[in-house]
Amino acid sequence: MLKTDSKKIFEMKKVLILTGAIILAVVISCEKSSLDKVNPNGVTFDTYYSNDQELIAGVNSAYATVQGFGLGAREWFFTHDLRADEMATGGGQLEAPRNQLLIGVNDASNPVANSVYTGWYRTIHRANVVIESGLKTNAAFSEAIKNRVTGEAKFLRAWGYFELATLWGGVPLYTEFAKSVEDAQPKSTQETVYKQVIADLKAAEGLLPESYDAKNLGRATKAAAQTLLARTYLQMGDYASAKTELEKVVNSGRFKLVDNYLDLTNEEGEFNSESIFEIVFAPSNGAFNWSGPDGDGNSVQEETIRTQEYSPIGWRNLIPSNKMIDNYERTVKGDAKNDPRFDMSFWKAGDKFNNGNDVISDAAVQGNSSQMDGKTFKISWRKYSLLYKSNAGFATSGINMRVMRYADVLLMLAECENELGNSAKAISLMNQVRARASVAMPAYPTANYPCDSKAKVFEALQHERYVELAAEQVRNLDILRWRKNKKLTSEPISYFKASKHELLPLPQTEIDNNPKIDPKDQNPGY
Amino acid sequence: MLYNYKTTLEMAILRKSIRLLSVLVIFLFSFTTLMAQVKGVVKNETGEGFQGVNVVVKGTTTGTVTNNEGRYEIKASNESVLVFSFLGYKTQEVKVGSQKEINVSLAVDESLMDEIIVVGYGTQKKSTLTGAVSSITNKDLSTQPVISAPQAMQGRIAGVSIVNNSSPGAEPTVRIRGVGSISLNPNPLYVIDGVPAGGLNTIAPSDIESIEVLKDASASAIYGSRAANGVVLITTKKGKSGKLNISLDSYVGTQQAWKTLDLLNSAEYIKYGTALLTASGQPVPARFSNMNTPIYPGATTTFAQTETDWQDVMFKNGPINSNQLSLAGGTDKSKFYMSLGNFKQEGILPFTEYARQNIRLNSDHQIAKFLSVGQTMMVSADNRIAERDAGGRSMIMNIMRMTPYWPVSDPTKLGGYSTTAQGLDATDPENPMRIAVQEQKDQVDKSYKMLGTVYAEIKFTNWLKYKFTAGGDYASSIFTGFVPIYNDGNRSRQTAELSQNRGQFFSKLFTNQLTFDKTIGKNIINVTAVAERQDAKFSQINLTGQRPDNNIKEIQGASNVSGRTSVNENTLISYVGRLNYEYDSKYLLSASVRKDGSSKFAPGKKWGTFPSVSLGWRLSEEAFMKDVPAISEMKLRGSIGVTGYNSIGDYDWQPLVSANNTIYPMGNDGTNLGSYFNSLGNGGLSWEETTMKNIGLDVSLFNNKISLSTEAYLRKTDGLLLRVPLPESMGYSNSPLANVGSMQNKGFEVSLGYHIDKKELKSTLTGTFDLVRNKVLSLATPNATLNAGNNADFGGFDITRTEAGQPLQSFYGWQVEGIFQNEAEISAANGKDGNSATPYQNEATKPGDIKFKDLNGDGKIDAADRTYLGSYLPKFSYGLNYTGTYKNFDFGVFFQGVYGNKIYNGTKVLGQGMLRLFNASTDVLNAWTPTNTDTDVPRAVSGDPNQNSRTSDRFIENGSYLRLKNLTVGYTVPASKISGLTNNVLTKARIYFTSQNLLTFTKYTGYDPEIASRNGNLLTNGVDFGMYPQARTLTVGVNLGFN
Repeated sequence: MLKTDSKKIFEMKKVLILTGAIILAVVISCEKSSLDKVNPNGVTFDTYYSNDQELIAGVNSAYATVQGFGLGAREWFFTHDLRADEMATGGGQLEAPRNQLLIGVNDASNPVANSVYTGWYRTIHRANVVIESGLKTNAAFSEAIKNRVTGEAKFLRAWGYFELATLWGGVPLYTEFAKSVEDAQPKSTQETVYKQVIADLKAAEGLLPESYDAKNLGRATKAAAQTLLARTYLQMGDYASAKTELEKVVNSGRFKLVDNYLDLTNEEGEFNSESIFEIVFAPSNGAFNWSGPDGDGNSVQEETIRTQEYSPIGWRNLIPSNKMIDNYERTVKGDAKNDPRFDMSFWKAGDKFNNGNDVISDAAVQGNSSQMDGKTFKISWRKYSLLYKSNAGFATSGINMRVMRYADVLLMLAECENELGNSAKAISLMNQVRARASVAMPAYPTANYPCDSKAKVFEALQHERYVELAAEQVRNLDILRWRKNKKLTSEPISYFKASKHELLPLPQTEIDNNPKIDPKDQNPGY
Repeated sequence: MLYNYKTTLEMAILRKSIRLLSVLVIFLFSFTTLMAQVKGVVKNETGEGFQGVNVVVKGTTTGTVTNNEGRYEIKASNESVLVFSFLGYKTQEVKVGSQKEINVSLAVDESLMDEIIVVGYGTQKKSTLTGAVSSITNKDLSTQPVISAPQAMQGRIAGVSIVNNSSPGAEPTVRIRGVGSISLNPNPLYVIDGVPAGGLNTIAPSDIESIEVLKDASASAIYGSRAANGVVLITTKKGKSGKLNISLDSYVGTQQAWKTLDLLNSAEYIKYGTALLTASGQPVPARFSNMNTPIYPGATTTFAQTETDWQDVMFKNGPINSNQLSLAGGTDKSKFYMSLGNFKQEGILPFTEYARQNIRLNSDHQIAKFLSVGQTMMVSADNRIAERDAGGRSMIMNIMRMTPYWPVSDPTKLGGYSTTAQGLDATDPENPMRIAVQEQKDQVDKSYKMLGTVYAEIKFTNWLKYKFTAGGDYASSIFTGFVPIYNDGNRSRQTAELSQNRGQFFSKLFTNQLTFDKTIGKNIINVTAVAERQDAKFSQINLTGQRPDNNIKEIQGASNVSGRTSVNENTLISYVGRLNYEYDSKYLLSASVRKDGSSKFAPGKKWGTFPSVSLGWRLSEEAFMKDVPAISEMKLRGSIGVTGYNSIGDYDWQPLVSANNTIYPMGNDGTNLGSYFNSLGNGGLSWEETTMKNIGLDVSLFNNKISLSTEAYLRKTDGLLLRVPLPESMGYSNSPLANVGSMQNKGFEVSLGYHIDKKELKSTLTGTFDLVRNKVLSLATPNATLNAGNNADFGGFDITRTEAGQPLQSFYGWQVEGIFQNEAEISAANGKDGNSATPYQNEATKPGDIKFKDLNGDGKIDAADRTYLGSYLPKFSYGLNYTGTYKNFDFGVFFQGVYGNKIYNGTKVLGQGMLRLFNASTDVLNAWTPTNTDTDVPRAVSGDPNQNSRTSDRFIENGSYLRLKNLTVGYTVPASKISGLTNNVLTKARIYFTSQNLLTFTKYTGYDPEIASRNGNLLTNGVDFGMYPQARTLTVGVNLGFN
């Protein structure tokens, strides 16, 4: 009996050994292929950016960083505004890093300024990807799209470097995107960076169209490149070259001042005849994208938080400085007329808002009060405020930011003409701006702005730019430019210390992580 | 016949011995004729009849097995001795003499139970183990309620650090022998019944038979490329042959916060707010002088009459309840274990909860003498409502900051909750109750998990076995999120946001294992060979949408619906070999090698080899040691081995273009999609590789009354995966992973056990002690630093820094020198650098501000004056566990503690940082003023112009604690009594009372010193951003056994 049992067992064993061997073989067989897995969730750089649509998508992503909250939707306008003398703190609600920028005690770790630095470099990186992809020889680009998109990318790259060089001075210069961790670039000089900006904008000027169809409004145009180029020359003190570029814009005949000053910072006046370049936001009542500084994500219609930051029914983090308020022409100061731009730039108690349905009262407005004509009351920014058609306690807005507009071009041209000795031309250009229908301020010379010398014309110009372009992120550039080119007779920034406050500190993370930048490379005073 | 077969299982020999056997059979037959009949009952430790016990006449092959009532009958002579044996029980021998009826009770052989240890791909006798393996058996798990397996390990295993984290349902942070990775979460590999799988929360602790922790490389290298951070083996219960064993384990309890902070009341808040804002030149909030207005339009109470203690409002008693019913039993051919469990826990803050239901069936079957098969299967469902950091701010943070004169609810507001809208109150805290109700309540994570294995084991001979295992791990997760439209007077949401994320994970495992096990003279040789393959696939679908009302919580008729899917797959193919060799029970050798091929790496980098070797010497078996009777066991062992860690993404080496992943609304009409390229790839990506050296000494004294195990190890990790920190100017938002760092952990562990067995008092005292020192040896570049923890609400500076030469993520910041008492001190400091025009700290420094230390002596305070301020890693940790029984009472006292660690107390930043106006702790009443100069709290000034709240030693606190983690008292009704009382229905009844975290001794001034890392973020361990505190739990429970 045992014998037969054991035989049976032996036969079964054979079967089982065979089974085992088969299972083993199955496991081992298909191994090679199964270890080679390709990411199914996307495409790689080598295969992408090889047709028109993909190239356009590339440059769109560079615009998107400009619009993200690291830049246009929040930190970019804050950084410029906090550095200029247009602003005062709205009260204790102003967050510490912003307050530090406002009073000039910011250091290399300031997240607001650093976010702008990072934001521009992300824009530059994305622009570089597009510019380099445009050079691909094996791609199916149409010449027209390739040129236009390359022009847009060069414009955006130039804008980034213009801002970086103006605010931080010499910064690392990347004209190709980094391919490996070893590709970090050292600090370069402000001049070298400006040179790159000029080269890019000259190229862009040649590549960009004069205008776009309605679906593509917001893309960089030839005039945008020319205006930015003029800004760059101005910043460098090259008035003749700036004038050349500005005249191109004027002579194109494409732009004219709009009648209603309010249309320059409301939603209804977007892309009007005065507009040269705007940061575009989705229509109001979308959603603010808090998810990341670059504004990434394809389901979020991005808006800007600016209305919430400044509006009286809102956080009211910044309010106009008393100096800003005092700069407006008013009859009490002996001016011929109260400047209508005052009421169109600020909210005060008694103003109607929310399509005329509500009235602002000081009690409902938090924070600090302002002084005007010996009286104390609450004044808040109206420019870019959504309150004109809303009364929400929390709101983000879709009002596009007019980064460059025709009045600025005329005033920049006036500055050039005055510097080049053509004061009369300068006065007439300024008067064009003052003659706007809704403003209609008496022409220069006036009692308080006699314009009887080059210096007095410059004084009028400073005033005109201050009030016309208040809170439009040009005052900071103006102060930096006038200071650098030694045009100022008195320092407008109260905390200013020479050899420090001319520039922002390089972010600490840049110094820490860039092997080609030494702590000694930090800007002076920090 | 069974017995006979066992002794001569080797068939080849058997066949050759047929003749001999027949002689034997004849002999036996003739012998039995002289026997008398003996009968009796065998009972088990609980007094029940014990089925399946072998009863053999000693020295013969005569034997029988007890029946289902434990009865047996056997023929035996007066001179013979009956041997009663059952695996896992102490064998008893009884001389027959004149007895005709012999009743015995078999006791569990605890020394035997401890002896078999589960190791990778097998089991091993503890006495011959050469690696560092610690284990917990179900005794530790069942006597007190723990919620999950990792909780059961806390303080009980030397070298394993467990830190409970966050709200109910969050898995604790588990670190074995220090921290082995910087950029990856260094979690151990969990192997559940042989299947590497995650989701430990879903396993009911009472289903667990044992947990083994493989600590050194010789034990863990057999798991190769996944084992560098240790391996935890979880073995679930199996059935035992014998009577059906039904048991019910239930407990019910309550949890509460054990500590609250001293926050300002309304009057104090107004006083503080006035000082804070006045100092920064800001107007005092209009409300402060006008408190006699209704709290909302139409309300009869005024702000002046309102005093809300937000801690009191938010902290609640959280019920906890668990029921587990299990059924186990079987015959010697088929055994099973099944269970059904239900667990529910509410948190101590509103709308945080965790619930779990689970079913398990494990069975084993002996189909033929050479073939056994079996399976394990678990199905579980769990449900979690977690704390949501709304706007990046924790619940605790909102509780601390909320205005004390504000009402909890406000029926005039959309959604029913309001907060200060800044204007009159000059501040904008979040109402924490609104967060709980509107941001937490309807955001639910559900998951369903099935984890099962099937195995077949074939014995070719008694020394060669083949085992095939197929395992499957399926998990389906569903997150449904609904956040409603609301308007609290400050913040609002105009459209309701809906989201649903579904994930499906499936992993299948096939293991082929051949085991050779043979004793040749004094040589015992065990060889294991394994070929294994595991494939995992995770697919996901995410949907979001918006609705204009709060009526429907499903994505139905929603606007802006968008969806995305993704799929990830990986494959791991492995070959494993192991040799265990033992000579003369004295000299032990173990060597293993595993070759892993992983799809996660680039071509050319897919395969890795992970070897280990260990040696052991049982000194106690040597002749010269036999003379020392005090020493019952003494073993010296040493090991070295290499393991890897590969828990990176499935495709990390291949960077992708983020195609159409952003939008720019050209023409205001946003469908212009954008594509960008924001990560650098790395074709050279490989696993992190850890080399561990371990030496250990195990000693048992006085007949195992005292046992001691000590280990020392050196663990060095190379090729540490780091996100190479890129300069901002490169423009990439993602940093690439590269194998660029190295780190070392060295440590020392002691486990001590002491058993007292004095008739009625039986007790065991066990202690664990471990000490680890971590040091980063190198990072991407020689001066590279990794900074983490920057948060504007907590001062706005990085809090930790990781740098070569320091323990990872050490606290890094400034040191406080004192408080500037007057202008003269400030100007003196300003002049330190030789130029009094440049400020020492900054232009805004005023008397009452903190003076920081000028560490580099350059006369000014800047980033270069920061220094290392300590580590979150304890200098040592320890556990002390005393369990005992006295008569029918049992008790357990378990202390657990850490010593020498630091915590960055973010709640102190919230409490007295004074960044801007929010409620604060009563510390701010002691802020510096010209008349209150003897204080360490700086002046109250809004905006913090001097940056007094920058990261500094002011907020670093001693995080040491000693906690009475568990206190249990139980009473078991005597078996005889309970059977009688319940007509034999109930065979066991124990009632117990347990408290967890009853006492905590600590100097930490925040809510709770046991904090891990917010949201599991890397490099911010030990930073208390207002974390969910651990609760004190009181529970009452019963363990019942039925017939």
